[in-house]
This record gives sequence, structure tokens and C-alpha cells, in this order.
Amino acid sequence: MTAARKLSEPVRAEVDADGLLLSADPLLMRLHLRCGGKEGGPLAVPELAGLCRLSRRLGMNLSRPVQASDDDCRIEMWVETRLASPEKDQPLSLSILDWKEYAHEEDDRPDPGRARDFDRLEGRGVIRTDAALRIIAQQMPGDAARNFDAIGQSLVDIYDVIPPSAHAKLLEAVAERQPIRNQRMRAKIGDQSLFLLQGQPLIDKAGLFAGYRFIATPDDPEIRDQDIKRVSGKLISDSLFGMQLGPALRQPLGKIIANAETISSKLEGPLRGDYASYAKDIASAGRHLLDLVNDLSDLEAIERPEFTVAGDDIDLIDLAHRAAGLLAVKAADHRIRMELPDEQQKLPASGEFRRSLQILVNLIGNAIRYSPDGSVIKLSVSSDEGFARISVSDQGDGIAAEDQERIFEKFERLGRSGDGGSGLGLFISRRLARAMGGSLAVESVAGKGSTFTLSLPERKKS
Amino acid sequence: MDRTKQNDIIRRAGAMAGKACFVAEDFAHVLFPRTDVVFNDRMRSNARQYLRSVVRQIEMRICEIATRDLGVTQETLLSIGQGGDGRSFALLEHSGLLNKPEIVQHLFVKTQQSELAARLLQKISQEDLESTLTRHLDHEDPAVAEAAMGLLVAQSKTTGSAGEIAATLADLPPEIVYAIAWPVTAALARLSGSPVLRLQQAAERLLAAHDEGAGVARKADRLAQLLEQGKTEQNPFPHPMKDGLTLFVARLARQSGLTSDQIVAFTAEPDMARFIVVLRAADYPVQDALSIYVALASGDHILTAATYGELDRDRSLALVSRWAAPDAYQNADRILSRDYPGADGQ
Repeated sequence: MTAARKLSEPVRAEVDADGLLLSADPLLMRLHLRCGGKEGGPLAVPELAGLCRLSRRLGMNLSRPVQASDDDCRIEMWVETRLASPEKDQPLSLSILDWKEYAHEEDDRPDPGRARDFDRLEGRGVIRTDAALRIIAQQMPGDAARNFDAIGQSLVDIYDVIPPSAHAKLLEAVAERQPIRNQRMRAKIGDQSLFLLQGQPLIDKAGLFAGYRFIATPDDPEIRDQDIKRVSGKLISDSLFGMQLGPALRQPLGKIIANAETISSKLEGPLRGDYASYAKDIASAGRHLLDLVNDLSDLEAIERPEFTVAGDDIDLIDLAHRAAGLLAVKAADHRIRMELPDEQQKLPASGEFRRSLQILVNLIGNAIRYSPDGSVIKLSVSSDEGFARISVSDQGDGIAAEDQERIFEKFERLGRSGDGGSGLGLFISRRLARAMGGSLAVESVAGKGSTFTLSLPERKKS
Repeated sequence: MDRTKQNDIIRRAGAMAGKACFVAEDFAHVLFPRTDVVFNDRMRSNARQYLRSVVRQIEMRICEIATRDLGVTQETLLSIGQGGDGRSFALLEHSGLLNKPEIVQHLFVKTQQSELAARLLQKISQEDLESTLTRHLDHEDPAVAEAAMGLLVAQSKTTGSAGEIAATLADLPPEIVYAIAWPVTAALARLSGSPVLRLQQAAERLLAAHDEGAGVARKADRLAQLLEQGKTEQNPFPHPMKDGLTLFVARLARQSGLTSDQIVAFTAEPDMARFIVVLRAADYPVQDALSIYVALASGDHILTAATYGELDRDRSLALVSRWAAPDAYQNADRILSRDYPGADGQ
């Protein structure tokens, strides 16, 4: 984000022979103070002070670009120095012709923690290796102890490469610093689960190869085979989405969305405005379809008799912050502020991490979707009667009493359409909450907003 | 042989005896150059002519100030100030006072810049090149339009025909004016026997009157900064045939975090390798990069789309970031890596 200040008049200042700022227009004085300077003290904007010193040493008038930075932004200026006379003790005049502010780039950088939350939400694991393929960090779904034990070991000692590929082929790709795509691997220890690896080579600041970051997606052919056997003979199977259509649809949909986003953001070059807008519509429709596929896969999964959830030790306050972080950009788009519980506090509960995060993302996503722009969404926590509770309150239109149970039914949209919802989110969320031994309830008054409360079995604080 | 000739030979023989120990050194530089950069005869001649002209202008200006403003009436100074033959260059030339890294580097960049300008003029006419800047005069941002006008005016004041380096005092970087003005002052004091203090005051006045902001280079830098700040998708990548050489170099320098002098120097290197890496790091599309290369290359080498496309951008960015480090750091790093073979980079 940038903010140009159109300077109707140059910003002026005077600096004496000792580098003290004798006077300055308000814009520069403010920057000087924010850089730690004092009124009448040495000019505290380092590059500007350096330019003054050079100008004085040479006894010459300079005209150069200068950069400065404070807590909020980076500033680009164009500065001219003017010596009143060749006499060395005369003040030097500064004249700033251009002034442009840039918000710090760090704000735009993807937060690695947030990326990890997305991976966990999708059930993916992450492995980071050094240049010799030794694991330096691993975050795989399930067994945390296994993650710890893997550190320092070679990737190929922990995982077997599954044919038709082979170790040699993988190592060849690594030697050439090539991205690794769809490499199937099996864990050598533990439950010997299968993963599909996607790896990107990492280059450090000096331009040297620094290892790989792998994304590991669970890929269990036994479950797939069982499901395929179970559905054989049926035209529409019980696991149509989870095991067949879902994976088949996700990849092309992902490509459609990625390409449409590339076109709409004009990354490949200029484009007519209406074409960019069509591409945006395609990306939006693609995302809607992908959400629907995910919902249908979940729906199928939770309706299977053997569906179970893990009993992880989770902290609802930590989850609230993670879920809010995942939706921060969407909330900001609608100028919605999220009030979160104090991050220093803890509210331990028992439930599957990924599924609990999924419920909260669904509740906050709904709150953003149905709240007016500029409103506030509040997340609050409480505990009683052996349950830890987290509530998501919005300032939307609310839900009429007679509709408050209906919204938890399958495909129920209360007559709404075109807002990107599938009518499955709340149904799935409630089923997941119940599978974890908890509940999901709503309290609402029409016109006064809604509060959805997820309750999970409380875990004693350790 | 008349008496004058005899004296001259005796004088030259004496002078040569004092410098004989450097002959082998000079020859060694010619025989064993430490870089692959080729300096053709035209570049040598241009550099020499340019340096002579710069020294001459500074010398003349100092004499003018001393005689006109400070009341010095010494004959030599009066003559030089009124456009008579210059005297300082001959004295400074062999003294080593002009053989300073910053002066020689500036000479090299100016010479290479004139090579590039000459190559560019084989592909586009002088009129078309001059009209490139006028398209910014109607820019919606008044600051850009004003900066473009400033550059246009500064360029119009620069003299010199195609392939010739224009030596205009106003266009010299302050550090170069400073590095030359004081040796010239000392030379004038020795040659004329005038009061040293007056000549020093004249030099100070010359320096104080120099306005870096009026030079072409800084005008181009400011316009480049404004254009890059308000960069639009219609014109994301500058091109020497669309922007003119000076503005193109300034914009590329700004995009890459390097200096304009570095960009120009890279174009003199074999195959323009570092220049191509800079284009890749700044993510120039392949067609733009090839077109820029063709516009600036001497014609001996070819850049293909495949070669450019295979350049790894991350690696290019890392290299450019290393070249953008302060000179002192790069020099120290190079010396340390030479002295300590086990260190990184070996």
C-alpha cells in the first residue's frame, strides 16, 4: 500500500554546521521526532543527515533520492541541499521536493504460521529439509512424537519412495534443484501411512540452495480400495465425493481458480478491464464449486458409520486466534473488526484440532458473510458443567426463532442464494461437534445479530 | 640540430629517466588485463578527450572567478579565464592526480555511455530519440510532467554529437568536480604564482555554485523515481528506444537497487552477462529483454529466448542484491575471500 503526498510546496528545513536541526516544516519535523530526534537536536533521519554532511564536506549543492523509515512506513523523498554561502558555519537549507510513503512490506508477507494452519485445516503435513535432505522440521498430521523423532534424519531414511518412482529418481530431481511433484512415499515407522509429496526447492538470501519444503497429503490406497469395493455395483456410490469425484474435481478446479486469478490480477500482462472482471467471476465461481466439493466430501464422511474423530488436546482460545487469522483478509475486505479473547489465556478442551478449526472457520466465515460492512464480530469463551465453550457473535440481521433449528438442516439456505454458501456448513459443523462429544447451538433475535456457540468437553488445565 | 630542439630532447630525457621504472608496469597492464572488458581505440580517445575537456572547463571557470570576481590580475589566469590555452591538464596528466579511482570509473562510465548512445542511434533516429521524453510532458501527475520537462531542458543544454562524449560542467557529479577542482587549483597556483588564498576562494565559489540537481543524471533519476512510484501496467518496463538511454538506465537502476553507473558498466562486460541478470531479476518479459539487448549490444553476440528463459530468477535476484551492496563491502569481501581461501565463496 502506498500513499503519495502531493507536495504543493517543498518541505523545507535548516541544518547547522554541527548537524543540528534548526527548523523544519511539520512533515519533516514529525519524521525527525519519530526517528528518535529532539527539537533542536541532531537531525535524526540517517540518510538525510548523511546527505547534509556530504554536502557540507564537498561545499556543494546536492540533489538526491533519500529513503527513511519509521514504525509505520518507508518514505521515499527527493531532496536538494543548498549552502547559503561557501562559509562553512552557515546553515544548510534542505528542500524536499517529493514525498511518498509505503506501508512496510512485512504486512503483505504471508505469515508462515497462517500457512501451516491452512495445511492443517486441509489435513496436510509439512516437512522442511536442509540441502542434504535432512529433516529440520516436520509437522505431520497425527503422531506428534514421530515428528520430533524425525528431526535430523534423512528424508529417505524415514520414508520409502513408492514405485514406479525410485530413490534414484527423487535424488536426481533434488540434485537438479527441481520441484518435486506427486511423489508417493510411505512412512517406514509407525502406521506406515502413505503420503503424496509436493516439494519446492528453497533458495537462501545468498542465492544458494538451502533445501526443500514438502507438503505431504495423506494418500491411503487401502481405504480407497475398500471404498471402491464397497461402492462397486452402485451407480451413485456412498463415497462418491470423498473418494472418487472429490479428488477428481479438486485438481481441475484448483487449476481453473489459479489460472483465473492469474488472469484477473493481470500478472501475465495488460488486459481489457471487462476481461479481468470475467476472470474474477470465473475464479469466484470456481472457489464456490470447490467449497461445495469439500462440503459434499465432508458430508459423506460424517454420514459414514465408521466416522470417528481424534481426541486431541486443544485450546479453544488458540483455535479462535488461528481461525480469525485465516479469515483476517476476508474480514478486512468488508472492514469488519474481530474482537478476540486474550491470547495469554487458555481454555483447554478435547476434540480433533482440524475439525474444531473447521467449525470455527465456518462460523466466522458465516458471520462475515451475513454481517454489514464495518461491523464487529466478537469471539468469547466460557466454561461450565464440564464443557468449554466458544461463541461467535455478529451484528447481522439475526435469525427468526422458527428458523433457528432449520439452519442446521442439510442444504437449508433460508431462501438465500448467490452468496457463496452451500447450505451444508452448519449441518456438517453440528455433526462434527456432536462426534467430538460436544454441541453447536445458536441464539438470535431477528434484527439483533446471532451468537453461535460451540461446546466441547472441557479438559483439566495441566 | 638547433639549440631549442636540443634543450627539448634533454628535458624529455630527464623526465623519462624519472618515470622509466613505470614502463614495465604500464606494459604489463596492456599485456595482462585483469578483466575481459575490451577498451577499443575510440573509447580510449573519447575518454582522454573528455577528461581534457572537463579539466579545461574547471580551470577556465576558476580563472574566471578569480580574475573577474576576486580582482586577481595575474596574466596567465586572465588568459585562461578568457578562453586562452589551458595549462593544468599537461601538469596534472602525468602527476597521477587524475588517476584516482573515482575519476577513472567516471571516465569509463561516460565512455561506455557514449558507446551505447552510438549503438542506439544505429537503430533509431536522433529526432525519434529526442522525442521520447515529450510523451511524459502531458503526464497526469504534474510532478512527473515537471521532472520530464526538467530532463528535456537539461539534455538540450548538453552538447556533443553522436558518438562523442559531451563534457558539460553542469552534468558532472559533485564528487568528480570536487576531485578535479582542487588539483586544478593547485596546478594553477604553481603555474601562475598567484596568491593561493584567492585561487582557493575561487575554487570554493565554483563548488558552491555547482547545482547537482541541474545535471542530466539527477534529472533522469528523479523522473525515474516518480515514474517507478506511479508505475502503471501500460508501461511497466522501460526500453531505451521508448525512454531514451539515460532515463532507461535510471529506471532500471531504480528497479534493481543498483546505481545508473553500475548498469552502464555492466553493458561493457563480455556478453553483457550481468546486465542480462539484472533484467531477469527485475522480471523483464523475454521479448522486452531480447529487444533491449539488441538495441544496446554491439552486434557480436546474440541473446536467445531460451538462454534468457532458463535464467533462474531467484538466483538472479540474489546476485543483484549482492552487487547492490556498498562498494567498500564488496571490495573487502573480495579481498578477504582471496586472502582466506577457505572462506565462503571459494
